[in-house]
Amino acid sequence: MMSIRPDEIQGLKQAEGFLSLRGLTRRYGNFNAVDDLNLDVAKGELVAFLGPSGCGKTTSLRMIAGLAPSTSGHIVVDGHDITGVPPYRRDMGLVFQSYALFPHMDVARNIAFGLEMRKVGKAEAQERVREAIALVRLSGKEQHRPAQLSGGQQQRVALARALVVRPSILLLDEPLSNLDAKLREEMRNEIRDIQKRLGITAIFVTHDQMEALTICDKVAVMNHGRLEQLGTPLDIYEHPSTAFVAGFVGRINRLAGTASGGLAEVAGVQVAAPGFDGRVEVMVRPHRVSLSAYAPPAGDDRYALAGTVARATFAGDILEYEVEAGGVLMKSEAATRGGEGVLAPGTPVILSWHRRDTFVYAAS
Amino acid sequence: MDERPISPVLKAAAGLMFLFLLAPLIIVIPISLSGDTYMAFPPSSWSLRWYGAIFSDTRMTAAFSVSLILALVVTALSLLIGLPAAYALVRLRPLGAEVLGSLFTAPLLLPTIVLGLAILLVFAPLGLLGTFQGLVAAHLIVTLPYAIRVLSTALATLPIPVEEAAATLGAPPLTVFFRVTLPMMRSGMVSTAALCFLVSFDEVVLSLFMTGPRLSTLPVAMYRHVEQQADPLVAAISVLLVVLTLAVVIVVDRTAGLAKTFVR
Repeated sequence: MMSIRPDEIQGLKQAEGFLSLRGLTRRYGNFNAVDDLNLDVAKGELVAFLGPSGCGKTTSLRMIAGLAPSTSGHIVVDGHDITGVPPYRRDMGLVFQSYALFPHMDVARNIAFGLEMRKVGKAEAQERVREAIALVRLSGKEQHRPAQLSGGQQQRVALARALVVRPSILLLDEPLSNLDAKLREEMRNEIRDIQKRLGITAIFVTHDQMEALTICDKVAVMNHGRLEQLGTPLDIYEHPSTAFVAGFVGRINRLAGTASGGLAEVAGVQVAAPGFDGRVEVMVRPHRVSLSAYAPPAGDDRYALAGTVARATFAGDILEYEVEAGGVLMKSEAATRGGEGVLAPGTPVILSWHRRDTFVYAAS
Repeated sequence: MDERPISPVLKAAAGLMFLFLLAPLIIVIPISLSGDTYMAFPPSSWSLRWYGAIFSDTRMTAAFSVSLILALVVTALSLLIGLPAAYALVRLRPLGAEVLGSLFTAPLLLPTIVLGLAILLVFAPLGLLGTFQGLVAAHLIVTLPYAIRVLSTALATLPIPVEEAAATLGAPPLTVFFRVTLPMMRSGMVSTAALCFLVSFDEVVLSLFMTGPRLSTLPVAMYRHVEQQADPLVAAISVLLVVLTLAVVIVVDRTAGLAKTFVR
């Protein structure tokens, strides 16, 4: 493999992860599909690239795989700069949304393809193909053509085909998006189990926050080609560092307000906003907003707001209220426990939420 | 597909239409079995003598070999030239690919007689008239547009991620092409080959300009024969040609799926 030690490159920060992206950029004319992406992935970690469509997550993955050229920046794997290396010498395993199996080959030959390219001996190749097929629970389907398999089975073949070559990094490009809801949940746990068992470093591109939060060690939230935040699922959810992350991951109430002297005034409530001045956005998740008949006791570290029920939505497991308070509509939701009934529109209520559940961002 | 009952009136109309289209072909069969020395319908006696006569007519058997070898060579060359051309047009997308694509199909839009005359004017000073090479070149002009069209469509409908998957699994570009792209284009290749073979084998107008006293293709030999004699020999040949065409169509259908390859 052609490679340059990263420390030989002028001005390049020492790579810290097993996979490091340094200033990775992809420009189309004036548009930055990926803009100065810096990211470190540790060995054995499963990291999600999460974001809306067009945020640059797939382009980033394709640059890592070598399928899309980068305009500038570096991709470093295990200390080797692979930025200019063609895809067939990168040693990556890629699983596509569309499965991308070879239609003219049966399951066993699909999986054996990468081994054949690596000139692995016949006996060893057969053994490894057998193991890979067992790993994705497809034993007995060796002679089937892709067209004879269901979507979930095809995606398992694609996974086995990518893993059998023991790639340095497993890249998954929206691998579950073509499956139905039930299968998606099953497959995502299966992917996580296999990834952990093999201890393989993996990138999982998705627009589905549930997939990112539930199975990944870390989540990289992207928007407009930029990395908004990299953190554990808990970090991303409880401490979103930007208004975009707060709004994209999970549901949220957005309140506009003005800050001065460390306090922000929103919907008639004074919210702590240290370091902010001018227009701000204050956010709180609906299920962290509780609804009661009485104001919380003072010194309870809760913000409270009086309002009236505007609309109640009963969804079985969840009861959601929209409450008009201080000139804004706020959502509050809670799991139903049974026997509590549903408040009628117009009922006066007190909304309250904890200080630590309150996010404040400068308004853009 | 939805199965809806078809009205008997529509069925009858369709049947009549088919009969109209097939009538000339059907009428050739009894005539080919005629025992008469001239073409007439219905024949006054029946025999297989005209089938026997084909094989003792050296002009016809020679012309058949020329046509067969010509069609095979033209088909092979059409694939060999058409495939890289289609790949360049669809995948490498050079500047003006669309214009080039239209340009390559232009020979199909020209009246064949004009094309024939033009080829005659160009080939005569080159000494290509009445030669096998000249025939090959002339036929390529009409088969290549078909080849490039069908192969371009076949290439354009291939899912690119499949090729990308092969690349990430360690296959260099040429290996990707031969192990993945080409096998996935199988049906497109088969239908291109069948189309080029039939177009070349049937070609009359260009061949009339290109053939000479010592070199003739089967359609030209049949044409000249009919001009001189009105015996049922050509009817017998026609029946054999219909059978040959059917054989080609069946091969395409079995290997690639007829509807899938032609109706697209």
